[in-house]
Amino acid sequence: MGKSARNKLMSAAEAVERFVSDGAVLGMGGQSIGRCPMALAFEVARQGKKGLSVVGCNLAMSMDVLVGSGLVSRTECGTGNLERYGTAFRWRAAAEAGELAVADYSHLGMASRFLAASLGLPFMPIKSLLGSDILSTKRGEGPDPEYVLMSNPFSSEGEPVALLPALSPDVSTVHAQKADAAGNFSIEGFSTHEPEMVKASKAVVVSCEEIVDPEYFRENPGETTVPFLFVDAVVHQPFGGYPTSVYGRYEHDREHIVEYQRVARAGGDEYADYLRRAIVEPGDFDGFLDWALTDEKKAALRDEMERLI
Amino acid sequence: MSGYNPDELMVVEAARHINDGDVVLVGTGLPMVAGLLAQRTHAPNMCYVVETGPVAPRVLPTPISVSDPRVMHGAVSHGSLLSSLGGVLQRGLADVSFLGGAQIDRYANLNSTVIGNPERPKVRLPGSGGANDLASHSPRILIITRHERRRFPERCDYITSPGYLDGPDARKLAGLSVPYPEISVITDLCVMEIDRATGTLGVARLAPGVTFDTVQQNTGFDLHRPADVPEISPPSGDIVELLRREVDPGGVYLNG
Repeated sequence: MGKSARNKLMSAAEAVERFVSDGAVLGMGGQSIGRCPMALAFEVARQGKKGLSVVGCNLAMSMDVLVGSGLVSRTECGTGNLERYGTAFRWRAAAEAGELAVADYSHLGMASRFLAASLGLPFMPIKSLLGSDILSTKRGEGPDPEYVLMSNPFSSEGEPVALLPALSPDVSTVHAQKADAAGNFSIEGFSTHEPEMVKASKAVVVSCEEIVDPEYFRENPGETTVPFLFVDAVVHQPFGGYPTSVYGRYEHDREHIVEYQRVARAGGDEYADYLRRAIVEPGDFDGFLDWALTDEKKAALRDEMERLI
Repeated sequence: MSGYNPDELMVVEAARHINDGDVVLVGTGLPMVAGLLAQRTHAPNMCYVVETGPVAPRVLPTPISVSDPRVMHGAVSHGSLLSSLGGVLQRGLADVSFLGGAQIDRYANLNSTVIGNPERPKVRLPGSGGANDLASHSPRILIITRHERRRFPERCDYITSPGYLDGPDARKLAGLSVPYPEISVITDLCVMEIDRATGTLGVARLAPGVTFDTVQQNTGFDLHRPADVPEISPPSGDIVELLRREVDPGGVYLNG
């Protein structure tokens, strides 16, 4: 069952309806305040997909809105964090309330698990995590272990190495700069854990700033991050990473993120009001952008990125 | 008014721990500022590798995120988490890493995951990110932190990133590829370094005007009292000027 080079262009609403199920293991692209798949995450929240396990490396606002919407039962990640802007506060609150299972890894731990699945392998050895409580708080033996400690069989020293199970998301959501209708896409700037995660996933939804001509990647194959083989849906959504930054396109919106962090920390009615105004009432992501951004602000965020690259 | 503030003292001292030509794994904040200062002064051939992937960027002031376009500016490659944390760090190509955490214990273990019981945390912190990887694979580890008693408990509630775990040979027994790293903790009161014979932190230098007793009062574990402790050299006026004008001109991090 291949993912042929057919036209995969569709709306975010259709892509999420078709490829994100209740209870899915949902791979989340982006990192911190950079290139998070905000349009896709908002659509998942709008459709109320429940019981999700959100997996990734540095999960931030796109994960936090799903937790804050009550849709997430588990996360597996390196960190829940917007760096200088603070912790992912709804995630933190849910973890402290015992409402959310949090499986901790290091970033390399998560990337290694995606790498294993992307190569069709059942596990990956790693030399991080040894001696830490990231391992000691997990099941290391029995019928359903979360890791296995073994001796390096190729060394006379037999030094310990940890094996981590492959992780294959049911569906991954990522935001890229360029894609074509068949699903070839190009990430510019840092690419986080996304190349491995996407290739490890059963289904992939990619949103993008720009749709390029079907011949574009044939003429510029060096730009292809992931070829169409792995992709199921392509959503054209300019500013689809807003309010996080998209390298080469626009800087993150400091004011919007500070305000989000304020209401996420406060929780309660203030947070519910944000979800209503940002996600529910606008009906789609363009509606959210109309509410959150003026044309002048868009131009300013584009200009700021232009100055920095 | 003195000629420098505590952040500036820590940054200048941290920069002295970086050698020309070092491959340095770094996030943002004071560590990034320390690295940029080293690069502008005695270590022009220092090579930054950012957790997110960028190699040898010409960093623009002042990045606030490892996803910030300022840490990609002028890089020779952009890369990924796998290329930096796997292909550089775990591969064994890093010389120095900077780390931080909510708790640092006697063995220089770091906690950035939970305060209290991990099953039902009193405070849920962000988690490892790349920190465990940096601590596991770096021959030299630099930690910059304010010196407060609650930050230096006898034992971390949770070991996110390994120091010497619970003894001098514990890293080797655990299988870590760098069994005996140099670890320096740079605070506003002192510099602490790992004694490889015991695997524990001891005071190596005191900030100007600070006594050993003050350090001990602000530390939750017992420190060996050395006979004589040298003082951290205060930064020159020129260096402070460079920091304020060029390295962190907006005072994003160096504000106190």
